Amino acid sequence: MKAASVFCAFSIFVGTAPLFSGALNAKDAKQEPQTEAQRLYEAHCASCHQYDGGGVPMLQPELIGRPRANGAKGGVIDMILFGSATIAPTESDYSNEMPAFSHLTDLEIALIASYVRTHFENEGGPVTSNDVRARRTK
Amino acid sequence: MFRNIFAATLLCASSALAVVSYASVTEPVGVDEADPIDTELGLRLPEGFKATIFADKIGRVRHIVAADNGWLYGALARPDKRMGAVAMRDADGDGVAEETVYFAKGLRGTGIGIYDGYLYYGTDVSIIRWKLPDGGAPTEAAELIAHGFAEKRQHAAKTFTFDGKGGLYVNVGAPSNACMEKQRTKGSPGMEPCPILEEYGGIWKFDASKVMQHQIKDGVRYATGIRNAVALDWNESADSLYIVPHGRDQLGEFFPEYFTPEDSAELPSEEFHKVAEGADIGWPYSYYDHRRGARMVMPEYGGDGKTVSDKGQMPLVGFPGHWAPNDLIFPKSTALPEAYHSGAFIGFHGSWNRSPQPQQGYRVAFVPMDAAGNVTGDWITFADGFAGADVIYSPRDAKHRPMGLAEDRAGALYISSLMSDGRIWKITYEGS
Repeated sequence: MKAASVFCAFSIFVGTAPLFSGALNAKDAKQEPQTEAQRLYEAHCASCHQYDGGGVPMLQPELIGRPRANGAKGGVIDMILFGSATIAPTESDYSNEMPAFSHLTDLEIALIASYVRTHFENEGGPVTSNDVRARRTK
Repeated sequence: MFRNIFAATLLCASSALAVVSYASVTEPVGVDEADPIDTELGLRLPEGFKATIFADKIGRVRHIVAADNGWLYGALARPDKRMGAVAMRDADGDGVAEETVYFAKGLRGTGIGIYDGYLYYGTDVSIIRWKLPDGGAPTEAAELIAHGFAEKRQHAAKTFTFDGKGGLYVNVGAPSNACMEKQRTKGSPGMEPCPILEEYGGIWKFDASKVMQHQIKDGVRYATGIRNAVALDWNESADSLYIVPHGRDQLGEFFPEYFTPEDSAELPSEEFHKVAEGADIGWPYSYYDHRRGARMVMPEYGGDGKTVSDKGQMPLVGFPGHWAPNDLIFPKSTALPEAYHSGAFIGFHGSWNRSPQPQQGYRVAFVPMDAAGNVTGDWITFADGFAGADVIYSPRDAKHRPMGLAEDRAGALYISSLMSDGRIWKITYEGS
C-alpha cells in the first residue's frame, strides 16, 4: 500500500515536471515516474551522497536510515533548500559543506526529498511541492 | 607562467633521460598483481616486505610520526576517549604496540610532526607544540605556535612540515571546490580574481619556535594556487618543499557538456609538485590533465576540457583523479632496498568522486627520485589491498583507506587508516 501511494505521489509530481535532460523525454518520464526522481537524485546528489546513499565517511553524510529522512517533512526539504551552512563546523561530523539547492524548482526538490525519504531504508514518506513552497517562504 | 611551464617541461625531459641510466642500477618493482591479498592483514606489499598490525581500533587516526624516543604518535580527527592524539610503543619488537596512551584532551586534528625536541600538532585552527617527552604522552603544557586560521569545515585540516632550518610550513586549504561564487552550485561562475587565495589556498610559513604567531599578521604566504595539500613534506636532500594537493571535484556534474562520466572520474589529475617560494600551482584557474600532459583552463573560468591554460605550474607527476593524496614522506634510512632509498611515498586515501565509475586509489605509491629531487622513473604501487574488495563503488565499503605515513629511526614504515575504527601497519623489509 505504501509503495503504491509513493508511486502515485511521484506520478502527480512528474505530470508537470520540467525535463531538462536529453536522456529522458516527457513520455518516458510519465511511464517511469520513479526514474525522474532518481535521475534528479543522481544528477544533483549522488556524486557526494553516492548512488547507494552511503555518503563518504567524515566528508558527506550517509542517507541510509537517517532520522532526518524519517522525521518531519521539513528536515530533508530544508537541507536541500538551505544547505548545511547553518550547522556550525564544530557541530558537524562531516567536513564538506552542502550547498543550497534553492535554484531547483519546488517540484524538483519535492521529488528529490521524496526519493530520499522513501529509499535507502528510509520510511519518512513523500512530500509535495506545496510542502517545499511552505518551507521556502517560512 | 610560461617560463614555469617551460622549466617544468625541461625538468620532465631531463627526468625522462635520467630513467635510462637509473633503470640500469635499480628500479622499484611494486606489488605483484598476481599475489593474493591478505584481507585480515588488510594490505598487499611487494616481495620481501612484511607487515604487522601495529595498532588496531585506536580511533580515527590521521597523520602519524615516529619519535626517536621509540614511540609512534598519531593525531585523531575525532576525539577518542575525549582525547585528540595517541601515543603507541612496541617495546618487545614484535611489530605490535602493547602500550597505547591517549592525550590532547578536548582537541581533534590531522597534522602531527616533530622538530627540535618538540611534538607539533595541528588542529583545524591552530598549530600547537609540546616538549617531546622521554616516552608516552607529553607532560608539559602546550604552547600555541600559530593561530588565527578561520574556523572552516571544508579543507580545514592544518597539516605541516619543517625545513630543518627553523621554518614551519602549514597547509591552509581553500574552503571551496573551485572558487565558484556559490559553493558547489552548477552554473555558478568562478570568482576572478579568486578572493579565497588571500587567506587560504596556499602554504603559509611560520617560525617553528616562536609562539602566538597569527596567520595573517605574522605568517607568510609561501606558495599559492593550492586547493588543499594535506600531503606535504620537506625533501632534505633537495632542500625543497613538495606537495600533493587534492584536485577539484565534480567536473562532470557541473559541466556534463564538456566532461563525460569517464572524464570526470579520471580528471583532474592528482598533482605531485616541487614548490619553490612564491610558486603558484594554478588552482582555481587551471588543472592538470595527465592524459593530455597539459594544464587546462578550469571550466568555471571558461575552460571546455580542451583549452590549455598558461596559469600554474606543471606537476612532476599527474596521478589519476580523485585518489585523495593524504600524506607524503621522503624516506631517510637505508633499511629499505636501494630502489627505495631516494624517492617519495604517497598515501592515497582513495576516491569518492569517481561514481558512477568504480572508486579507485586506495593505495600507497612510490615515486623514484634522485638526490636533487627530480623524478627518475615511473611511480609504482607500493601497497594496496586496503579496500578489501576488487571493486568499490561506495567509499564506505572500503575496509581501510590509507591516511598517514611515517618512518622510524630504524627505517620501518608505518601506514595509518581511519576506517574500521582505525589501524596502523608497521612495514619492514625482510628480504635479502
